[in-house]
Amino acid sequence: MSENAGAMMVERGSGDRRFLPSSGQLAAYGVAIVVICLPAVLVGSWIFTLGICFANSIGVLAVSFLLRYGGEVSIGHGFFVAIGAYSVAVTDSHFGLSLLAGLPAALVLGILAGVLFAWPSRNISGIYLAVSTMALALALPEIINNTNSDWSGGYEGLYVSHGVLPGVPIALQQYYIPFVLLVIVAYMLGRLRRSRQGIVLLLARSHSAAADAFGTRRVWARVSVMGISCGIAAVSGAALAFASSTVSPGGFTLWSSIFLLVGSSVSFYGLTLPRALIGGGFLTLVPQFLSGSGAWIPVLYGLALLGVILAGQFAGRIRAARRRGPEGA
Amino acid sequence: MGMAASLEGRGIELAFGGNKVLKGLDVEFRPGEITGLIGPNGAGKTSLFNCLTGAYRPQGGTITYGGSALDGLPPAGRANRGIVRSFQTVALCPELNVLENVMVGLARGYHSGWFNAFLPLPAGRREWAEMREAARETLAGLGLSEVADLLPLRLPPGTQRLVEIARAIAGKPRVLLLDEPAAGLNNSETRDLTRTLRQIVSPHLVMVVVEHDMDLVMSICDRIYVLNFGEFVACGTPAEVRSDPEVVRIYLGSVDD
Amino acid sequence: MSGVLDLARDLLPLIWSGIVTGCLYALGALGLVMIFKCSRVVNFSHGNVAGFAAFLVYGFSTGFLLHLSWGAAVLLAVVAIIAIACLSYAVIVPLVFQSDLTATIATLGLGLIVQGATLLVFGSEIVNLNLPIPHFGTSILGLRITGYDLTVLAVAVLTIGILFFVIDHTKLGVAFRAISDNPFAAEVCGLNLRSVHLFAWIVAAVLGVIGALLIVPTTFLSSTTVASFMLQAFAAAVVGGFASLPGSLVGGVLIGILMNLFTFYVSPEFTNTFLLVVILLALNVFPNGILARAGGSRV
Repeated sequence: MSENAGAMMVERGSGDRRFLPSSGQLAAYGVAIVVICLPAVLVGSWIFTLGICFANSIGVLAVSFLLRYGGEVSIGHGFFVAIGAYSVAVTDSHFGLSLLAGLPAALVLGILAGVLFAWPSRNISGIYLAVSTMALALALPEIINNTNSDWSGGYEGLYVSHGVLPGVPIALQQYYIPFVLLVIVAYMLGRLRRSRQGIVLLLARSHSAAADAFGTRRVWARVSVMGISCGIAAVSGAALAFASSTVSPGGFTLWSSIFLLVGSSVSFYGLTLPRALIGGGFLTLVPQFLSGSGAWIPVLYGLALLGVILAGQFAGRIRAARRRGPEGA
Repeated sequence: MGMAASLEGRGIELAFGGNKVLKGLDVEFRPGEITGLIGPNGAGKTSLFNCLTGAYRPQGGTITYGGSALDGLPPAGRANRGIVRSFQTVALCPELNVLENVMVGLARGYHSGWFNAFLPLPAGRREWAEMREAARETLAGLGLSEVADLLPLRLPPGTQRLVEIARAIAGKPRVLLLDEPAAGLNNSETRDLTRTLRQIVSPHLVMVVVEHDMDLVMSICDRIYVLNFGEFVACGTPAEVRSDPEVVRIYLGSVDD
Repeated sequence: MSGVLDLARDLLPLIWSGIVTGCLYALGALGLVMIFKCSRVVNFSHGNVAGFAAFLVYGFSTGFLLHLSWGAAVLLAVVAIIAIACLSYAVIVPLVFQSDLTATIATLGLGLIVQGATLLVFGSEIVNLNLPIPHFGTSILGLRITGYDLTVLAVAVLTIGILFFVIDHTKLGVAFRAISDNPFAAEVCGLNLRSVHLFAWIVAAVLGVIGALLIVPTTFLSSTTVASFMLQAFAAAVVGGFASLPGSLVGGVLIGILMNLFTFYVSPEFTNTFLLVVILLALNVFPNGILARAGGSRV
């Protein structure tokens, strides 16, 4: 046994605790229980708002995922959210099919779009990629406004009116179904973390040359992460369309994309259910509280974004100082 | 399977712009041996190493393993042929614990699809369990079982280096290319490293070590190539190289003791 | 034969007006690139701050806030913008030395705040900003040249000339070049990184004001006008190479011309989409900008 091994810090990492649920899991279960019971005590407009909040939380997960597993910042995810939303709206308005058909379509189209964007941007990263995603977000309204308005509904948009569960009031469906989708996405991301693809993607993010040297090509990693992130964004769009019953180009501007990033930052890029809800909640509830003075929204988001970043830096410096101390490096 | 194979290079030439870095090198790295690659700074060791890993593409000459050429094969492709490397600065993922980092070294041998990544399907579960088991065995073999659940940044550099080596050997590679494995290690950690490297020698494994630390090189290498200005000035056993007058002349100004 | 003449007759005005608007994009791009060169941060709040400046000029000159002469309004607006630039940098500075990506996201936050401030103070309607630009037009060789064109060119050439003079011949300019090349060495030599960053931020803000004011006569002024001109500035910076000041000029003019050609020959409805394609193409084909020499033999 190496004498050095005995001298190290004993701080547990992400070890396997099979017998007791971790504090993270308990938080997730607690939140889920609260959410399930809430409609009993809330009025209709709040239930409606929370449904949208769950949809936004999925969008926040998409952006956080791209950052955690891909190391990239996107201010253009509204593009992929729109793809999902319009997939659902079109299948609903033009084909009369509910979310059961619209959601798979949204997911497939979202992943496809992500892969299609990932290819020409495969060698672009950091700030250049952020600028490219900005261009993507700005191109979206042009594309929507110029498609055949019979299909896309033009400026006014489309309605989503079909429910999924027969017999259940639509208002409750618009609350529970987005939440179920959020839970599923968070669950699947948790499974990804404990999968072969997940660990190689994480290495590809932190040390792409090392991942490459062990068989994980950079391009594969980038395309996979983009595909997944944009697929999640499309699911968010699908949930949004369902929860709000309408889809229109005004909901997918550069600002919406930037707001997703704000929500992601506020949740410190977490990929768990509670974190997603923090981000989505911030995004959805702040405008609710400020409904009278819309102009304060960007100010508050901006302050929140700055606050989170500066707090993160500050906390990071404390952590770095603590780490340096005991090891005397 | 079959016979153990050598990693060979014939006439390797590399130039950056007009600057000739490698001037037609012939090398043979044999299995069952540890071959060292030494030379002063700027001699071309790293460039040759990068040609072997696939990071650089030599303008002339070929590199073969077991008779089949590796030219044009990128690092990821070489990994699939069992050629792996370690890094001079530790390249472990800080978000993964030690066990998971070692599992990454095995990943190229498993192929369950995306559905298994996202859903609790039996094939994926089986694969994950197998990978964990194999990684645990590797860590145990190097005496690192205690640190399996820890995060790499909490470990001292020597241990991190050993974990990197565990990751490299977990997937049962055929060629192991080590890039200055003793960099940043103190004496006691270097002794641990030396012991570990000797331990993993096997008749089917080609090991190449690029290194500045003369103690390490002299004590573990069976053969040493000495490089200077893109050419080999000596090749032989440690004893032969140590007494070669040309080698002594090269190192006289920069002896590191 | 007449086909070629027709082509020339269409092409020339397009190229001319492309050069004119290209100068404005170049001004915007110069601001972005200056900040990027010395601190590796991309200032996403550039467009919002420039737009706010244009609104300030409007407010100071039309009685919305104050009733000043146009010149005084511009001066006051510039002072206000310099103050905002200093404040922005003060907020960003702890981040700049840690991670440029984080600092860049922080500029998004600043942009949001400034956007909100614009909406709060000025509302979301479209306003009319009249600039004292000589209204005349002449035709030279069949090419229509207006007072606006000449004003833009004159102001752009003057501004860029002054900027390049400062960078080439003043101490601050030399410090800027040193830091852009090698910040570590520059600091070792005793140069103050922070003052140079601040210089770049202030210059960028002033360039943004000039660009915004010159762009307004071509469209109305609303809270979104200037922001949409930012995409062109970004595209110009990307095409010219984000670390090249002369590249920004070339990029700006190129983008101006290409946009005009695209709008005329293809469609005016898809300009942003076109710019997206241009950006992706530029980053793939010449990641270091159109002026960079291809080099290196590493795989």
